[in-house]
Amino acid sequence: MSGHHISSAKFLWGVGTTLFLLTFITVAITWIAIPAPWNVVVAIGIAVVKAIIVSAFFMNLYWDTKFHAMLFVLSIVFFLLFIGITLLDTLYRTDPIPTF
Amino acid sequence: MSQPSALEEKLDHLQHHFIDSDQQFEASKMGMWVFLVTEILFFGGLFVAYIAYRTWYPELYMLASTELNTFWGAVNTAVLIGSSLTVAMAIRSAQLNQIKGLIINLYITIALACVFMVIKFFEYSHKFEIGILPGSYYSYEGIAHEKANIFFSIYYMMTGLHGVHVLIGIGLMIWLVVKAKKNVFHSGYYTPVEITGLYWHLVDIIWIFLFPLLYLID
Repeated sequence: MSGHHISSAKFLWGVGTTLFLLTFITVAITWIAIPAPWNVVVAIGIAVVKAIIVSAFFMNLYWDTKFHAMLFVLSIVFFLLFIGITLLDTLYRTDPIPTF
Repeated sequence: MSQPSALEEKLDHLQHHFIDSDQQFEASKMGMWVFLVTEILFFGGLFVAYIAYRTWYPELYMLASTELNTFWGAVNTAVLIGSSLTVAMAIRSAQLNQIKGLIINLYITIALACVFMVIKFFEYSHKFEIGILPGSYYSYEGIAHEKANIFFSIYYMMTGLHGVHVLIGIGLMIWLVVKAKKNVFHSGYYTPVEITGLYWHLVDIIWIFLFPLLYLID
């Protein structure tokens, strides 16, 4: 439970290489034109996988006390709530767009 | 008992209100995680602006994104991931008492962060030259959309705030090098390295989302 997990150099390089690979895949996937909503879904999906890898193995959430993981997950939950409630307004306006 | 002098030296960092090093370390780390939560919600506001305007002007995002250079965006993503790797290696060095390795890894991280900022500088200055400026300063004619300035206002706010975080990260990393050279860190005390690392990884994660959302949508 203690926060002193020491990863081996080999493991850290493995995590880094996986992230480089996923970055390449995100770019490569734009070369084949995926139809409209799915290109966003795939791009965000890969970004989420990368974010999970970074937080679990670089930020050590995988070995850390569950409390820190809970803080992180809750911040995402509140962020999604923020998006959801905002969209409930902006998506359904009859006289929509403010000018600036 | 001739040992205590050596032991005491190793406990220089321990503040009197903590029971032991572990408790101090855990308290600092939890504090950092709470700060990272506020950071996520801080950037969250900009992501919500991005989403709201993208649902209003989906075609604008497709058009305007072509002005962003995917290649340099991808290079910067790789640079930041590389710097996350070196930060993780720096923490590992500190945990193993390898202070030289710690300093070298911090130097590489600072160098990579500077590479990121230099690429960003060239991207920005190219846009400034052709009149792509935020808000009412926008004067570029190349995008056939009357609200083109909105996309770039969002672009500058998101990448600008992220860039400020990278600059702060560089400052923190220099501070860590200075402390490491004074032999402050050892396997029993490397808290500043650990929590600066957490901050740096979060800055990396935010860029991981900015890259596909801004550069890859065309």
